[in-house]
Amino acid sequence: MDRREFLEQVAAWSAGACLATPVFNVQSIVAAERQAKGKSLLAVAKGKDYAALVAQVMKPLGGMAAFVSKDDRVVVKPNIGWDRTPEQGANTHPDVVKAIVQQCLDAGAKRVLVFDRTVNDARRCYVKSGIQAAVESIGDSRAQCVFQDQDKFVPVQIENAKSLKEFHFYKDALATECDCYINVPIAKHHCLSKLTIGMKNAMGVIGGNRGEIHKGIHQRIADLNLVIRSKLTIVDATRILLRNGPTGGKLEDVKVLDTLIASADPVAADAYATTLFGMKPEELGSTVAAAKLGLGEMDLSKVKIITA
Amino acid sequence: MRRLLWIPWRWWRRAAQLVLLIVFLWLFRRTEYSGAEQLAGGENILFRLDPLVGAAAMLAGRQVIAMFWPALVLVGLTLVLGRFFCGWVCPLGTLLDYFHGLLRPITRRTNELLRPRLAAASASSLRATRYFLLIAVLLAAVLAFPLVGLVDPFSLLVRGLTFVADPLLARAADACFAGSGDSWAGTVLQPFVKKHLLPFRPMVFYLTGVSAAILLVIFALELAARRFWCRWLCPAGALFGLLARRSLVKRIPVRVCKACGKCADLCRMDALDPAAGLSPHACTLCMECVDHCPKGIVQFGLGRKAKPEPRPVDLSRRGVLTGIAAGVAIPGAAIAARLGHESPVPPNLIRPPGVGEEKTFLSLCIRCGECMKVCPTNVLQPAIFEAGLAGIFSPRLVPRLVFEQSNCEYTCTLCSQVCPTGAIPRLTEELKHHHPSGKSYFDHNLCLPWAKETPCIRCEEMCPTPEKAIKIFNTFKITKDGEEVEIQQPFIDRELCVGCGICESNCTIEGTAGIRLQRIDAPDPGTEFLLKKPKRLGTPAAPPASR
Repeated sequence: MDRREFLEQVAAWSAGACLATPVFNVQSIVAAERQAKGKSLLAVAKGKDYAALVAQVMKPLGGMAAFVSKDDRVVVKPNIGWDRTPEQGANTHPDVVKAIVQQCLDAGAKRVLVFDRTVNDARRCYVKSGIQAAVESIGDSRAQCVFQDQDKFVPVQIENAKSLKEFHFYKDALATECDCYINVPIAKHHCLSKLTIGMKNAMGVIGGNRGEIHKGIHQRIADLNLVIRSKLTIVDATRILLRNGPTGGKLEDVKVLDTLIASADPVAADAYATTLFGMKPEELGSTVAAAKLGLGEMDLSKVKIITA
Repeated sequence: MRRLLWIPWRWWRRAAQLVLLIVFLWLFRRTEYSGAEQLAGGENILFRLDPLVGAAAMLAGRQVIAMFWPALVLVGLTLVLGRFFCGWVCPLGTLLDYFHGLLRPITRRTNELLRPRLAAASASSLRATRYFLLIAVLLAAVLAFPLVGLVDPFSLLVRGLTFVADPLLARAADACFAGSGDSWAGTVLQPFVKKHLLPFRPMVFYLTGVSAAILLVIFALELAARRFWCRWLCPAGALFGLLARRSLVKRIPVRVCKACGKCADLCRMDALDPAAGLSPHACTLCMECVDHCPKGIVQFGLGRKAKPEPRPVDLSRRGVLTGIAAGVAIPGAAIAARLGHESPVPPNLIRPPGVGEEKTFLSLCIRCGECMKVCPTNVLQPAIFEAGLAGIFSPRLVPRLVFEQSNCEYTCTLCSQVCPTGAIPRLTEELKHHHPSGKSYFDHNLCLPWAKETPCIRCEEMCPTPEKAIKIFNTFKITKDGEEVEIQQPFIDRELCVGCGICESNCTIEGTAGIRLQRIDAPDPGTEFLLKKPKRLGTPAAPPASR
């Protein structure tokens, strides 16, 4: 190799390394799945024992084994965004998270990661939400509640996005590193986006300046979900936050519903959860935008709803 | 007693130094949020042991601070044992010893080279420097000027570790473990190191370079002479020295044998003079002269009969006068420098929660950096000259330095738990919410929903009060296409605002935020009305009446 050749190769490789931003778009996968399955299926269950409730709501969907295969790398993504206690209704309930993680382990998962990009100091949120302790109490080294590593936010191009063409995503949540992504949001009031449920929970696996999402929030939230494909969405509506969300803090704003909603269709899950607040699915901009992108069914009359 | 349990004394001293250094570093590492709202306690013990810091804070604050009882114990011990703290306990002294030992091939030569010059200087002015600093610090404290934080060894050390060593260490470790992936190093070693040896995350501070430079100079002085700082500069050491003048335990014999004089050569503190013998105010009981005496006659004991030659404490009249002059002149200059300001306290100088009057705070704060070390969000930063010359290194809230993270956490009271002087009063969560040190104000010329009629209200989303202090005013605008769009314009109920600054740190505008924290005692900045009206296509709605 002479010098010229060497320099050319260096230039070519560095250019390649700079340009090689992975491109993501789950539309085709979702379309194929919806074609195969036909009508979207959604399960609703009510009960006081949240661990049993998880099993109950998963039953009509075929149990956790229908989603988690042996040796899968699973991500369970609750909302751990806030320095708030479980009864304040700002984070996903720890018992729900624990039961889901436990079921993933029972289904033979190789690794179950639980994390979130928190708004308050991560250590406080992990402790106060009770989720860290809940995952650790399982006592299985395969299940870990981990703090996000700043070096793992990678740039991703979002194909067919209407507003957000490129953003930083957390590597462990991308389909390349994770076989099954389970979204476990809590249903809450949110002044700007009206409600925050499953779609918006993707805010916890993105890096960079999250304030950018707030400029045209509904479309941008839907665009994020072109990258993050939740194989399963379990909406925690054991208690919902009616006012002063998404932070909460006032117990009078929390309504205990003891309800879980599960579906493989993230749009249907959000649409159904919206009705718990006495709202119509189309009132939520992100649901409408996601349905337009073909990510799921927002018309609840076209969804098969099973009360388990 | 020349040995204790057959082990030479200097090994006992070395063991104590090592153990106490590890304890100090362990306490330093524990000065961090670790899952409980209350720290275990004792993290700030080093400062509470320091009689200089205690005296200066009490003089400057005009109050007795009970938290300094350990310093009183140490004073008592020093009266009996002498200046043992410097030789056996002080973490800076230990680190200097290790540094000196590490660079021995170099330090031996450079020390030898500079010895005659330093001996000459020491005989005249160098010896008096530490007393001059001590007088200046105490006198400035009497004038309510906190000079102590700039020269106290522990303030320098803890700030240096917090601002420089800790972030460097964390980043270096991150670099080392980058790409370790699923290997043993990545799955076992890294989590262990991260959990037990490193800070939770590398923090960023103002004045990092200055803090690094001060420490570097102190360490570099080892090249000139062993324990240069302790021997000639340290004001805390000077205070211990004064207390140790008539200490009961001392080296016996107090004289140096004329035939040998090896111990005088060996002494790292200049405490032995071939002619005058022992100076108890310089001796740190390092025990080297005991172990190295060729005749084996040196020991430390109660020697009531062996009184050292009464020697003046290296303090010339000139030294005292310069000390007094500096103690008066430095605060004087600082006060004079601030006279030019129309408003002495800038409105954006936000102190930690619970802090009341600025003047009291500045006189009590010893610039130890503990609050900045423990702050989980990195929002506490050292002031540069915002609070005048006197305020350098004092903590302030900077909500926009580390994006999206720099806010005072709603339930956190850690800074008040580590403050060794009570400059930040001890807080409970409730007390903290009732005594905010700032309040937020919108800037309608920047805030997107006000200035550009663009939806945003991220501040409202973040606002942590159970009933949001940021409230929403719904208005409509008609776009060019004739479509009616709802705009949520935020306004603030300052009765509810707790001054945490999360709104400012998370504001989606880059650069200057559209909502900013102001000192609680600052006047309304008058930014809550539009100077330039946006081109509004629909009818404008009246802005809400602000409180």
